[in-house]
Amino acid sequence: MMRLLVFPFAVTLSLFASHAVGAEPTESQLVFFEANIRPLLVKHCYQCHSIESGEGKGGLLLDSKEGWSSGGDSGDAIQPGDARGSLLMDSVRYENADLQMPPKYQLAEPEIEAIETWINMGAPDPRVGGKVTKKGIDWEKGKSHWAFQPISNPTPPPTKDTAWPRDDLDRFVLAKIEDAKIAPAPDATRFALIRRVTLDLTGLPPSVAEVGEFICDQESDDAALAKVVDRLLSSNAFGERWGRHWLDVARYADSVGKTRNVAFPHAWRYRNYVIDSFNQDKPYDKFIAEQLAGDLLASTSGKDRNEKIIATGLLALGSMDLNERDQDQFNLDRIDDQMDTIGRAMMGLTFGCARCHDHKFDPISQSDYYAMAGIFASTKTLSGQQNRQGGSKQYYQPNLLVRLDESLTSKPEVSTPKPFDKSKRAEVAVLKNRIAKLQNEQKKNLPRQQQERLTLQLANLNKQLSEIAKQSAAPKSKKNKNFAIEEKTDPRAVLAMAVTEGKVSNLALRVRGEPDVKGDVVPRAFPVIFKNTSPPSLSSDESGRLELAQWLTSPKHPLTARVMVNRVWAHLFGRGLVETVDNFGASGALPTHPELLDHLSSRFMKDRWSVKSLIRSIVLSRTYRLSGEHIAENATVDEDNQLHWRANLRRLEAEAIRDSLLAAGGLLETNRPGAGPFSRDFSADFSKLKPGKKGGAAPDSIAQPTRSVYLPVVRSKLPGMFTVFDFAEPDQVNGQRDVTTVPPQALFMLNNPFVIDVSRRAAERILKQELKDEATRIRYAYAYTLSRYPTEAETERATVFLKSEADQIKTWSALTQAIYSSAEFRYIP
Amino acid sequence: MPLTRRGMLQHSAAGFGWMAFAALNADAARASSEFESPLAPKAPHFKAKAKRVIFLFMQGGPSHLDTFDWKPALKASGGKSSSGPSGTKGGNGRLLAPQFKFSPQGQSGLPISELFPELSQHADDLCLLNGMHTSNAAHPQATIALHTGSINFVRPSLGSWVTYGLGSESQELPGFVTINPVNLGGAQNYGSSFLPASYQGTRVDLAAGGIADIRNRHLSDDRQRSQIDLIQEMNRDLLESHPGNQELDGVIQSFELAYRMQSSVPTVLDLKTESSETVRRYGIENEETKAFGTQCLMARRLAEAGVRFIQISKNGWDQHNNLKTALKKNCGGIDQPIAALLKDLKDRGMLDETLVLWGGEFGRSPQDQANSGDGRRHNNKGYSMWMAGGGVKGGLRYGATDETGGTSVEGKIGTHDLHATILHLLGFDHTKLTYRYAGRDFRLTDVYGEVASEILA
Repeated sequence: MMRLLVFPFAVTLSLFASHAVGAEPTESQLVFFEANIRPLLVKHCYQCHSIESGEGKGGLLLDSKEGWSSGGDSGDAIQPGDARGSLLMDSVRYENADLQMPPKYQLAEPEIEAIETWINMGAPDPRVGGKVTKKGIDWEKGKSHWAFQPISNPTPPPTKDTAWPRDDLDRFVLAKIEDAKIAPAPDATRFALIRRVTLDLTGLPPSVAEVGEFICDQESDDAALAKVVDRLLSSNAFGERWGRHWLDVARYADSVGKTRNVAFPHAWRYRNYVIDSFNQDKPYDKFIAEQLAGDLLASTSGKDRNEKIIATGLLALGSMDLNERDQDQFNLDRIDDQMDTIGRAMMGLTFGCARCHDHKFDPISQSDYYAMAGIFASTKTLSGQQNRQGGSKQYYQPNLLVRLDESLTSKPEVSTPKPFDKSKRAEVAVLKNRIAKLQNEQKKNLPRQQQERLTLQLANLNKQLSEIAKQSAAPKSKKNKNFAIEEKTDPRAVLAMAVTEGKVSNLALRVRGEPDVKGDVVPRAFPVIFKNTSPPSLSSDESGRLELAQWLTSPKHPLTARVMVNRVWAHLFGRGLVETVDNFGASGALPTHPELLDHLSSRFMKDRWSVKSLIRSIVLSRTYRLSGEHIAENATVDEDNQLHWRANLRRLEAEAIRDSLLAAGGLLETNRPGAGPFSRDFSADFSKLKPGKKGGAAPDSIAQPTRSVYLPVVRSKLPGMFTVFDFAEPDQVNGQRDVTTVPPQALFMLNNPFVIDVSRRAAERILKQELKDEATRIRYAYAYTLSRYPTEAETERATVFLKSEADQIKTWSALTQAIYSSAEFRYIP
Repeated sequence: MPLTRRGMLQHSAAGFGWMAFAALNADAARASSEFESPLAPKAPHFKAKAKRVIFLFMQGGPSHLDTFDWKPALKASGGKSSSGPSGTKGGNGRLLAPQFKFSPQGQSGLPISELFPELSQHADDLCLLNGMHTSNAAHPQATIALHTGSINFVRPSLGSWVTYGLGSESQELPGFVTINPVNLGGAQNYGSSFLPASYQGTRVDLAAGGIADIRNRHLSDDRQRSQIDLIQEMNRDLLESHPGNQELDGVIQSFELAYRMQSSVPTVLDLKTESSETVRRYGIENEETKAFGTQCLMARRLAEAGVRFIQISKNGWDQHNNLKTALKKNCGGIDQPIAALLKDLKDRGMLDETLVLWGGEFGRSPQDQANSGDGRRHNNKGYSMWMAGGGVKGGLRYGATDETGGTSVEGKIGTHDLHATILHLLGFDHTKLTYRYAGRDFRLTDVYGEVASEILA
């Protein structure tokens, strides 16, 4: 492992520090170099520190004078003329455990001495003119990146076919299709359309009645579809589906994950907040602002205030290693999670990359990272958990949550620890015991020396005792008293994961991301590249979250609207206009339709950031209405359908598959569960719960009838079905689900008791209908399961299949199960 | 068309229906040839001996000082006080001499403790790695690091990287199988994180009956086959209207593999077909060796069936106390089964192409835990693992800890180095086995990793 770490006494950190170039090397110096130094460097060092090997580990090159002169990540390696002050000497001498070079073996003493002599000579080196490829940030190039340009409002282009477009957005799409000299596919049938739009907007299939109504609607396609869309947008199921999309990017979970996978018994409030926000069509700018700084925003009522506090739960939901012993590391990891989440979810930027070094692709420097990270360092994150050592500690700490109170509109306070909380009690008892013993000793007639020692010991113990008391004493101020958790946590207290303002402070840059290797303190600020968006300045007595929210939701911000519009587009078409939905940086994809993206983004902002309006426009567009018909001629021009000349077939998510099955079996409970998935004090560590044992089974109970969005998301313990169908890994932002196609999916559909049960129930429901003959029943079955009628061939096959076994329920169950197992059921047409 | 289809249906029942059908349909045939199963076998970067890995994971931190790292100086200085390596939990305290006898084994004379009488017979196949070290001395972190290379982030596991790199040799079974995985670290230990899900480990829980949903207790095999044929008819219809759609082709293939797995998985895991001699040799008849013997025999069968990465696990190696009794019991539980596994692999000519890896997440301190004379603390600064087969030198003791066994000082192999070496043995340049995700190329070894080239045969 060759890893250069910064020395505590590290010399200047500047990458470009250069040395005074000494006089030209003398002949004898050159002879010395060629005889002793060059062979040694080639043999022992070039493998990792040369341009040729393609490696410059630790940022250090040793294959040219320019290479070593510009130093490495740990600073200058060689101080010409000063071997003792040269890092290189320390490393070849193995004087520092973290910096031993070469890493696998130590150089022979004569070799080490040669290097010493050479450096003391002034490090004469004839290898001049070498390339130094130190990567810095190219700010000019960075600035010109498309995603950093202001959002424009382009005029829709003219199209030859003027009858086809329904919405302005269609003109952008059609113009490109016409440019490619092809024509869009025909519209989808009404059968396909109602299934598509119902699954897209609610995550549930349409009922037979809904299909029938739409098919028979005498109005124009436009009008008939609009009716359906408005009905769907106003159903609660809409928020349950689109809220879940947001929960993917919010890396939502009901447990902390990692080593001590302790439950988040209050996370569900944030989940419900998200669902409700989508159902209320909360303007997206407001939605963002509340999640970043809800506690700092004005509120209209106690209820409103509570919602805004719950919204900040976003920042507290990160996956943390509760077993992390190093508090700095823990805090910096938490901040990194917040930076990464906000960066990718809201801006499509991978800030996390700049934690340890300047961003390799995007114009975000390490200083930018720590400048923005300072905002979160000045924020207190209350997740109800605390990192601790050892296995027996209590990680769940209700005192590290925010207590909500609907009767209050003032700022709530963090509840404070009760006097002598449990973890201290044992310590206090031990201390008291020892004091008592010593006091007894004192009473004895002891020599003076011993008496003195006892007095000292007692004083020391009493001091410890009073310090514990001070630390955990109940707050004295009246204001705080309202919120303090009582000796036994008040069972009526409504608790939430949230953030509050912390001690305002700037962060020191961490060299190579190492918590204990501090660089300069960086004042809190927004990334330099966004200077032209006139970001607000930050005050010295507030964290800056409010300003962060203002900046992000400013119409001048080039990313916020674009990223959200692109997410919506990706959910409705299977692929974003920018394919990498969480990465709008230089390493992300370019937009296929940049003008369309800007058109929708500017419109989105003009429409009060209304997500429902945006979705409505898109699903009523002609583009959304295209059939999936394959046109050979078009495919030769654009096989990948980048131009949107037809609809993409899209696999349903795990939740939609499960919810559709529940609905098919008539089992779906459409009401939201009254509370969270766990009891309010549930503090189990899921990494220790064995499957099958009480509590351990909860996450896998896919058979319960609630919608999937309400099932607990336990990190690393997702229900098997969710894992198999590519549920979003809840550890980090995930705007686009994977679509894998693996045998366990087939095994699930074929053999899982839940699927078998649902299929039987569906068969029973089909058979209960009073239908005249087998052919009609088959017809009904297809309408019931796939929202369409069977083809003749399908009817024939089904008839043959049904005949091959006598037991009607059994054979019908097998038929419905076959249909549910088919690809068509799990794909949006 | 319907008649031809019917003919095709019969082929389906024989298991190669789709290919037969595809040949009849030009568009679909094109689709089929374009679709490459993510699990199709792939060639590595360069030719290598090892084709698969069997990882015997010993969770808890087995004591290297009582098993595979002979420290005469520790023997001599048992009872003396010492300071542990800085930064470990080893701390200071009295040294605890090795609690078991070591003697040279095989022609190579590798020193192995008396706890492994059977395994010692294979000493000349073993490559002891005595210079192991890892970054963290806590079980969860070290376990996750060993499996994924990362402590801070959820990353693809070693097995999923190997399967991603090499695909699977079996068309009947998943490419990566983990039997009875330990709880610590959970699914991360065999997860695929951002790699496609096809590469994730398939979990076999022996207590829960194997692989999820592998059996249908509802339909007869014939009936299920005709049900699957019906499903596949629908799938093909859909593919026909979406020619070239890889996902749909994948669905069709997944049903065929799933159908085959229903018989292949229980068959490969069913040990009844093994001779009683074999069953005895693996120690399956004895209570103390039964559990691990079963896993070892299954591992061999999975290897024979073409599974790329097989992991079996045994926990309970955390001997803070009760070292002598517990270690004896643990080693006794695995010694005979591992010896049987090595022998079988060798007899079948498979040892050369199978890399067997043994070890835990870290080792233990030379210092006595609480001076009890019967326990050791965690130690991540120096410990041992061993490899056998798969192109590593046998009979080699590579790397070393310091005199008393606390810190690795020679032939040091850190977690990333271990991963780099394993990938190298399989034919990969670990710096080039990458996967692009979230805008950057990820690799198992992050930006680290040195191949321990001295151990390559």
